[in-house]
Amino acid sequence: MKLSNHLRENVRRLEAVYHDCADVVFHDMAIGGHTPAMLVYIEGMIRLEELDQHVVAPLLDGPGRDHTLADIRNRTAVASIEEKRTIGEIVEEISGGSPVLLVDGHDAALAFGLSAWEQRSVEEPSAESVLRGPREGFIETMRTNIAMLRRRIRSPKLKVITMRIGTRSRTPVAVIYIEDIAKPSLVREMLSRLNRIEIEDVLETSYIEEWIEDNKYSPFPQLLSTERPDVACSYLMEGRVVVMVDGTPTVLVAPTTFLSLLQTPEDYYERYVVGTAIRWLRYLFFAISLLGPSLYVAVVTFHQEMIPTTLMLTMARSREQIPFTALMEAFLMETMFEALREAGARLPKQIGSAVSIVGALVIGQAAISAGIVSAPMVMVVAITGIASFMAPRYTIGIPIRLLRFPIMFLAGMAGLLGVILGVIVILNHLLSLRSFGVPYMAPLAPTSMRGLKDVLWRAPRWMLNRRAK
Amino acid sequence: MMRRIRLLLLVFPLLAAGCWNAHEVNDLAIITAAGVDLTEDGQIEMSVKIYLTSPSGGDSSSMSGQPTGDKGTSVVRSVTGINMADAASRLQKEISRKVFWGQTDVFLFGERMARAGLEEPLDFLLRHIASRERAHVFVSDSTAMNVLKLSPPIDRSVADALVAMADQQTGLNISMKDLAHMMVGKSKAAVLPIVLIHEGIGEQQSFPFIQGAAVIKNGKMIGRMDEDATRGVMWLRNEIKQATVTVSPDHSGGYVSLHLHRSHTRLLPKIEGGRWIMTVRITGQDDIVENTTELDLSEPDHLGKVEKELEEIVNERVKQALDQAQNELRADIFQFADAFYRKYPKIWKANEDRWDEIFPKVDVRLETELRIARPGLIGKNFFKQEQR
Repeated sequence: MKLSNHLRENVRRLEAVYHDCADVVFHDMAIGGHTPAMLVYIEGMIRLEELDQHVVAPLLDGPGRDHTLADIRNRTAVASIEEKRTIGEIVEEISGGSPVLLVDGHDAALAFGLSAWEQRSVEEPSAESVLRGPREGFIETMRTNIAMLRRRIRSPKLKVITMRIGTRSRTPVAVIYIEDIAKPSLVREMLSRLNRIEIEDVLETSYIEEWIEDNKYSPFPQLLSTERPDVACSYLMEGRVVVMVDGTPTVLVAPTTFLSLLQTPEDYYERYVVGTAIRWLRYLFFAISLLGPSLYVAVVTFHQEMIPTTLMLTMARSREQIPFTALMEAFLMETMFEALREAGARLPKQIGSAVSIVGALVIGQAAISAGIVSAPMVMVVAITGIASFMAPRYTIGIPIRLLRFPIMFLAGMAGLLGVILGVIVILNHLLSLRSFGVPYMAPLAPTSMRGLKDVLWRAPRWMLNRRAK
Repeated sequence: MMRRIRLLLLVFPLLAAGCWNAHEVNDLAIITAAGVDLTEDGQIEMSVKIYLTSPSGGDSSSMSGQPTGDKGTSVVRSVTGINMADAASRLQKEISRKVFWGQTDVFLFGERMARAGLEEPLDFLLRHIASRERAHVFVSDSTAMNVLKLSPPIDRSVADALVAMADQQTGLNISMKDLAHMMVGKSKAAVLPIVLIHEGIGEQQSFPFIQGAAVIKNGKMIGRMDEDATRGVMWLRNEIKQATVTVSPDHSGGYVSLHLHRSHTRLLPKIEGGRWIMTVRITGQDDIVENTTELDLSEPDHLGKVEKELEEIVNERVKQALDQAQNELRADIFQFADAFYRKYPKIWKANEDRWDEIFPKVDVRLETELRIARPGLIGKNFFKQEQR
């Protein structure tokens, strides 16, 4: 709806839009002492002091009677001023935090770029800390986040396309890519997928993640999420697209492969020998975190001849008084461990330590001496626990924790055959996944020797051609 | 949707059949060693050493399910049957837990059993899915049960003790797989280590030890070899790993002791105009561990003397073994037959039936070449010099 020339008319419409909004301020003023005007803004989302100094004060002295809108712009000392001509645009500006000035006799309003709100300072992301490397993390304000990326890639080729998603929340969302590296088709696909989203609000990137991922029923994450600008930049440089949502520090990276979820920024910041070694350690423990308890259950209930004799005899002694089968025991302990972990995750730090003490007793010494579980089982659970903490990204750790249980059952039913069956089913599923058209298991399948340089070992930087073809 | 149903169909039989061969560790009777004897009336007597995992057997400690680390107590059970399978099923009847053969590291055969023939028990043991081909096989001087009843003080069980002694390779070390190979090989002859019992004196408990070898031909034990001949057999079979030889070089007085560092034996068969010749090439390196002669072992000439003496002693042992095998027992326990077969398959096939006649006449030529690699830190024995 277009603005009219009459201030009274425009204000009436705005007031109708913002009725019962106590935080919206309608500030009545007279420009130059004669022309009626109305300043509309939301408390707490603007820089009030600057508004007073650079807009209100100069305008009260004001230009003469026959001023144009340009005269008003010239008097105010604000760098960002936009003219808006419809009520819809004005509402968008006000809700976004920009104060809007409506002047009598003009069918346009001025929006001042003076929005500002309280925001968290830039901190190191706690879930992705590194020993060496930048400690900066994204925050909840998108424009700060985009600036962090721009500061690292000072090229005009770094493109930022913004849009608003959420019929009610009108959340700003940005699609960021590097023009001559990212495939245009990928960017187009991303934009079209984002445009198809029908959602009322976007509070976190996971809201849109579920809309745009390829397989909606898989437990595996098909988009990588990170809070680190350096990680986002490294993926941008590989030709991937970053999706950013205002109001959350987590950004999405697409396309994503399974193996990139097993990498950490430190693989690249440390020397490559160390990086390779740690990477293999991670692969090993990743397998353990999926299969640890199942292998134990399978061997103990079906394949006792596989255990070295001495260990077997010791284990037989320690299991003598255990009332449960190995499967039951493993299931009990793993469930207990997951419960402890979930309980500890949300507690304040002071109480968190209490949980870990109780937990150590429950799945530790006390459980053994109570004769509920055997000592080897506690060890297996502990090793599996450590292994699951080694998953570099939380999102890849969750499906593994989940899939551990069905495989455990298969192991209890059919021994190693069951374990193999479970692994085959999981691998089959992984191989069928795609992320924005890229096979999830690339570069393992389909195999690319160049890609394997960054999988089997972390090749030295001068050998890494990082651009994915 | 079809795929999901198919997957369910795949998993369902597993759940339905569920656990048919699952056995918890604490439902197993773990056999660490087994022995087979032949009773007077020709029946098979199977004895097994079962490791007691139940704490009520040994210590009756608290509810703590931890391993108490004490010497695990074992029990010997013995049954008789018309054959191995019969005995094994009778054994299961007498034991409340599932008999578990998967950890059996030691199989003992009483001498009477061995002389009667090992084919029958071996068929059972090799056919049985749970028993290990890597298990060690011995022939017992007395009955196998007597050996199983021992509990040697150093090791956890008699099985551990025998395995450890066999692995040291001071005597023969024959696994079930080796035995089967030898028995079905071209030569149809095998050797097995013999276990004797060292009777306990006073406080010291009795313990088993390995000495000598039982010679088996066509599945039956036909004779024994003494300790020295057994060493010769080991040289010929390239099984010698540890050897300390003491020699006395001419005109020097005193002894030099040498410890084998590494050795290798190669069998080089040759057929020349109807003559079957086997060249045995023994190469090796020795360390000198003791020298009480007047030789200065930092001198290459003196070393040569010792080396020659050493080669002679080894040759002597090998000849002793050859003599016993070729002339007394007429059993090709060195697998010469396989060596000939590999090189001259056609000639061997033609003479396959005559092998028992040929073997005693095989001309064995020894080419022993032993070097002293490390004479030690000192050359002469300097204490002797000072006394003079």
